[in-house]
Amino acid sequence: MNIGRVVEVGRHELAFTVRRPMLWVLIAILGLLVWGLSAGGVTISSGDSQVGGTEAHITSQFSQALTLSITILTLYGFFLAVAAGMAIIRDDEHKLGEILHATLLTPAEYVWGKFLAVMVAFAGVVAAHLSLAAFFNHALADAASAEYIGPFSLANYIVPALAFGLPVIVFLGGVAFATGEITRRPILVFLFPVVVMFGTLSFLISWSPDWLDPAINRLLMMVDPSGYRWLNETWLKVDRGVEFYNSGAIGFDAGFILSRIGFILAGLAAVVASQRHFARSLSGTPEPGRLSRFGQAIAGRVWRRSRDAGAVITVAPTRRPLADLSMTTVPVGFFRTISTIAASEVRELLTRPGLYLFVPLIMIQATGNIVTSVAAFDAPALLTPGAMAGQMLNTLNLLVCFLLLFYMVESLQREFSTGFAPIFYSTPARTRAILMGKALGTSLVGVVIVGAMMVLCLVILLFQQLAHGSPVALSAWPFIVTWGAVLVPTFIVWCSFVLAVFGLTRNRYTTYAVGIVAIIYTIYRQVFSDGLTWLTNWLGWSAVVWSDMGLFPLNGGPLLWNRLFVLSLAVLLVTLAVNWYGRRDHDPQRIFQRLQPKALLWSVGRLLPALIVPLGLGISLWLNVESGYQSEGQERLQKDYWRRNFATWRDSKQPGPEHVELDVELDPARRWMRVEGTYRLQNQHDVRLDSWAMTPGFTEELTWTLAGEEFEADDRAGLHVFDHPLDPGETVELDFAYERFFPKGYNRTGGGAGEFVLDAAVVLTSFGPQWVPMIGYLEQVGIDEDNSFEPREYPDDFHEGITPNGFGLQGRPYTTRIRVTGPEEFQFNSVGVLTESSVSDGRRTVVWESDHPVTFFNLVGGRWDVREGDGTAVYYHPEHTYNIDEISGALDAARKYYSEWFYPYPWQLLKLSEFPALAGYAQGFPTNITFSEGIGFLTKSDPRSQAAFMVTAHEAAHQWWGNILTPGRGPGGNLLSEGMSHYSTLLLTEQELGEGHRIETSKRFEGRYANGRRVDSERPMVKIDGSRPGDNVVTYEKMGWVAWMMMELIGRDQMLTGLQEFIATYAPSPDYPVLQDLVATMRPHAPDAAAFDAFVDQWFLDVVMPEYRLADAAVEAQGDGWLVTATIENIGTGSMPIELAAVRGVRFPELVEEADADADPAPYLEARSSVTLAGGESMTIEFLTDFEPETLIVDPDAIVLQLRREEAEADLTTN
Amino acid sequence: MLKIRDLVKVYPGPVAALQGISLDTAPGMFGLLGPNGAGKTTLMRIIAGLLEPTSGAVSFDGADVVANPRDVWAQLGYLPQDFGFPPHMTGEAVLRYLLKLKGVEAAAGTKQLVAQLLERVNLAHAAKRKVKGYSGGMRQRLGIAQALAGDPKLIIVDEPTAGLDPEERLRFYRLLAELAENRTVLLSTHIVEDVSVLCPRFAVIAGGRLVAQTTPAEARAAVAGTIYEGGVDAGDLAEFEARWRVTQAILVEGRNRVRVHVPDGGPPDGFAPIDATLEDAYLVLMREAARQREGAA
Repeated sequence: MNIGRVVEVGRHELAFTVRRPMLWVLIAILGLLVWGLSAGGVTISSGDSQVGGTEAHITSQFSQALTLSITILTLYGFFLAVAAGMAIIRDDEHKLGEILHATLLTPAEYVWGKFLAVMVAFAGVVAAHLSLAAFFNHALADAASAEYIGPFSLANYIVPALAFGLPVIVFLGGVAFATGEITRRPILVFLFPVVVMFGTLSFLISWSPDWLDPAINRLLMMVDPSGYRWLNETWLKVDRGVEFYNSGAIGFDAGFILSRIGFILAGLAAVVASQRHFARSLSGTPEPGRLSRFGQAIAGRVWRRSRDAGAVITVAPTRRPLADLSMTTVPVGFFRTISTIAASEVRELLTRPGLYLFVPLIMIQATGNIVTSVAAFDAPALLTPGAMAGQMLNTLNLLVCFLLLFYMVESLQREFSTGFAPIFYSTPARTRAILMGKALGTSLVGVVIVGAMMVLCLVILLFQQLAHGSPVALSAWPFIVTWGAVLVPTFIVWCSFVLAVFGLTRNRYTTYAVGIVAIIYTIYRQVFSDGLTWLTNWLGWSAVVWSDMGLFPLNGGPLLWNRLFVLSLAVLLVTLAVNWYGRRDHDPQRIFQRLQPKALLWSVGRLLPALIVPLGLGISLWLNVESGYQSEGQERLQKDYWRRNFATWRDSKQPGPEHVELDVELDPARRWMRVEGTYRLQNQHDVRLDSWAMTPGFTEELTWTLAGEEFEADDRAGLHVFDHPLDPGETVELDFAYERFFPKGYNRTGGGAGEFVLDAAVVLTSFGPQWVPMIGYLEQVGIDEDNSFEPREYPDDFHEGITPNGFGLQGRPYTTRIRVTGPEEFQFNSVGVLTESSVSDGRRTVVWESDHPVTFFNLVGGRWDVREGDGTAVYYHPEHTYNIDEISGALDAARKYYSEWFYPYPWQLLKLSEFPALAGYAQGFPTNITFSEGIGFLTKSDPRSQAAFMVTAHEAAHQWWGNILTPGRGPGGNLLSEGMSHYSTLLLTEQELGEGHRIETSKRFEGRYANGRRVDSERPMVKIDGSRPGDNVVTYEKMGWVAWMMMELIGRDQMLTGLQEFIATYAPSPDYPVLQDLVATMRPHAPDAAAFDAFVDQWFLDVVMPEYRLADAAVEAQGDGWLVTATIENIGTGSMPIELAAVRGVRFPELVEEADADADPAPYLEARSSVTLAGGESMTIEFLTDFEPETLIVDPDAIVLQLRREEAEADLTTN
Repeated sequence: MLKIRDLVKVYPGPVAALQGISLDTAPGMFGLLGPNGAGKTTLMRIIAGLLEPTSGAVSFDGADVVANPRDVWAQLGYLPQDFGFPPHMTGEAVLRYLLKLKGVEAAAGTKQLVAQLLERVNLAHAAKRKVKGYSGGMRQRLGIAQALAGDPKLIIVDEPTAGLDPEERLRFYRLLAELAENRTVLLSTHIVEDVSVLCPRFAVIAGGRLVAQTTPAEARAAVAGTIYEGGVDAGDLAEFEARWRVTQAILVEGRNRVRVHVPDGGPPDGFAPIDATLEDAYLVLMREAARQREGAA
């Protein structure tokens, strides 16, 4: 290899690459990006988000690695692939090959010269990128940014670039280069980085459920080209504290280093492969391999046959005139042209290997996402046709649009690239027909992918049935209706858009750039910005939510109009494309003439027919969105509400309800309801209330009647003020009546809703003013980023004295009587017991009365089947029978055992009703739990996860922890609801499913807490108010765990006795409890008060987190037994007694998956020891066993909350 | 009848490719002769409706080609100078595809017609082969086949014989001549022999201007008796060219065989009069045109 010639080739390639606008566009984009990032918006999820707290530096090595790993994959990928992959194709298109290779230049010099030039160019881009980042971060930093900008360190920029950037650049560049050289197909070059990007973003770096096998997780880290997964799983997922990230250097392990070297080698190997291929293609040497030999054999046979037949190139002068051919010419029909072009396009596409590569990749990508999707509490989701169709919609939409972009542009470019254009475009075929034919042919690729996806989904469902006994029925309908309604119009308008852009720019690369920017911007707006509307959401991104309980129940109408708008837009775009399309090269001077006002007006006039329909539909959509319930007008109303009332009414005292009487008439088909009701209000304070207020929601037709007389309340921007003094204990009846459509009009751009009156179902709650007037001022109405405020600071003793309730209407529990009238085919459930039920004239009327006071109430209606249990009932969609046994069983068990353990269930019936997946929550209203269909009903409840059981157990526990005992307002309040429900779930799991399942569930909770906590901003549990990042996992998972640990500390019986006392004390009390009240109640029940106090100090009043490591774990024979030795260290914080178990065999065979289970598993043997280690302490342990153990496990019963439990386990080596 | 009036085409630069061409051609073969870069291909592309002129008019049988190019596409057979075919299609598939787009039918059916057209251009043996495997000549013949397809009233062939071997060139001449009997065939070439053999009338274009419009016989007659041939030593050629209007100089065995145009006076010493060819006439025209351009400049 002559280095001089390599350099010469490289110099030319580099000069070309550097002159390309594309490279400068990339640098400009990167410049804008790092400028934006310098504002501190993206950094590691660590640190204290509170004002004055230490924040994570965006300039730290970890933060730079985080952003660089994603940026290089997403932004560099396409540009790099084009630069590398097109290097040889471009020479090919310019027919430079033969001239170049008639010189002394060797294939190796040519290939490496070009590849290295691209690498040098992108090394320059990386250098520019890092320089700009450093400039914006450090040179332009102001005082305001000091809290997230650290000191400058060159290593913080260089190390991530070398470790995360270099391998992926070499890999992507090398493979793109080889793809271009070997296939000479631009489309494969363009699509390759897109596939890598989506595969990585949507799966490799994001899919990491708690139950994922660590070995698989490790493998995924190794194959992630970006390196993000390794960084996240190894260093970021479990928060190590902001100081660690701000000042530390990334520690690379051997696996990661090998993986990065592997990517570099893979890229270089691809270049070597292309060098060899190139050399063979120059010398005419056929490709080695079986296929080639087979091809040669066939070619040889054909040649011999031709030779024998004497058919080879014999000049046979013809004397016959052309007239003998009797050729006639007929007018070329519009549709015939479309079909001819489309058929040709399809034939052309079928010869493209890319189709057979990328279509399966898209299918794997889309199905991979759905197969690995998780439901509530990270439980695996059950695959149903509707769930699959709905959840794959965005992925398919995006990937197929990218594929169509590439195929469409290449189709339009083909005639120009091959030189066919002058012949092709001088045929009489109409331009419109040509373009539509191309669009149709290309779109068929999309249709084929969608069809293939549907078949694949059905095969997966069938496999699920046959292999795992899934009861889910096969149905193509959800796929047809969802993908047909959303995807087909999107594909049509997208192809039309690409046509128009190509027609206007006549440039392949510009069209790609515009197309990619259009898609990315659309998704950015929808996901990260203020969102699109039904007018602008041309992709239909996240527009519909599938529900088995009704076809697009919330957004069917807007979706229809949006799709019609999109289709009419497609017509307009095609018209523009036809006008702009470069079938004939336009003269620049004449173009200028056409831009004269008169000519322009004439052109617009000609477009009018195509313009009128989209204009009309667009205006209609805009008006509907602007008058809908998520419009800016509504936001203004809410802001006014906040502005006028926040200061004066936020902390005002209000009367509480004694009794709520409602008469609700529903017409779900029209989304209509009429509500007439009465609140018997009482001043439950010890001071006189001169005036009080109601928030009835923004409704026009509202009447108030106070104490029997019509009353005109003072309407303060939605807060209705009643100047009607109430003395302590005094009651007054307030009647109200109104009717409304709910939801009214369109939402902004689809998605779901938490409450609604729809033909599919009805869900209404007393948590907001949509259904019933709320008492007093609502703090969260009208709050957004502009006027959000720091959470209220509570003093340490805030819980002393009377603490108000944290949920529901203000005041003490009250009684309800709710009368509902609606369609006969609906059933309606509300709180309490059913006292009346009748059907008349196709209308069902039911009356629900509370048989024990409640603190909040709801109404849910649907077309259900019912499963009756022991004092329980589950109301479910007739097709959702999959988990009904488990849910019903869990509900029965919950009612029985929670009544025994905590407090007798005070109501007659415990109901659980299913509603459409327009929202993904479950709520435990008194006697009337509601589950979204996606929770529990469509959870894949395998024997290991028992997800439906877990969710039901948690929600049922809210009858006790939330309803019977309503927590108080303030820090530590909600932990009594959610955390204690988690604790109850663990109890019920062990009771019903056994210890193995409880341990598995505990570990799952522990993993969610470890991954979701924020080390620096985590406060003691008594301070948790839900206002900070990470509070959620403390509220749920940590509290559940700590309650369990408390039980282990004081004993099960003492714990349950204490809890019974706690509920009995506070359930009827006007003083609502918080966590401190629980601790105070439990202390007398602890056998060792000092140990209890120490425990409370650690877990309630402080933040500790043990983390154990084992070292030198070994076993040796000693006498008749075995001596186990190891060193255990607590590298975390906190001091807890902890057990170690030396074990052999399988402890819980029921948890071993069938495929892994031995027919006759070895008996489980164990021996235990225990130690107590404070943070930083270590100890060598020794204990004897009478069997040869295999593994040493710290905390075998999962009773001490800790970090990285999986590393507190060691195989025992025999000495 | 093809009518061209005051046709001007200015490319960005600006480069004036055509500077007011006016031309009428009746049915039959019409040649367009000119050196490389003269503007022939630009003119052909404008007539074929694939390039919009800066100004001027082109009509064919009354149809305005500039305003409504589709009117001419319906009756056009076009063989461009530079063209290709989708490489992964077979010759047969390409032709069938184009026949459909042109609306060409035959009593025997499209399949038979494709086979017969390929046979006419001697490509029957390669009908099933992908175009990417065709030689330059084969691609050219496939191009000819598609241009002949149907019953086009106007056939435009731009440098059609480039890449054809002598035998194929003759075959093509025969085809074109046959076609030209009842339609307009516009043959653009810089190969004088093509025009000499085929075209009863032709035009010469140079520097975007029409230099002449004549017949081969008239062109030859115009220079008859003014062409002389003789030998000039290699070292003396430069001085000779400065004195005489040399139309051709070919080095043969160390000595230049030179043809000169001597419109007035006697020939150089040792030069003998010879019969003027169309090539001589063309070269004389080109010299004159160049001289006029230089004079104008």
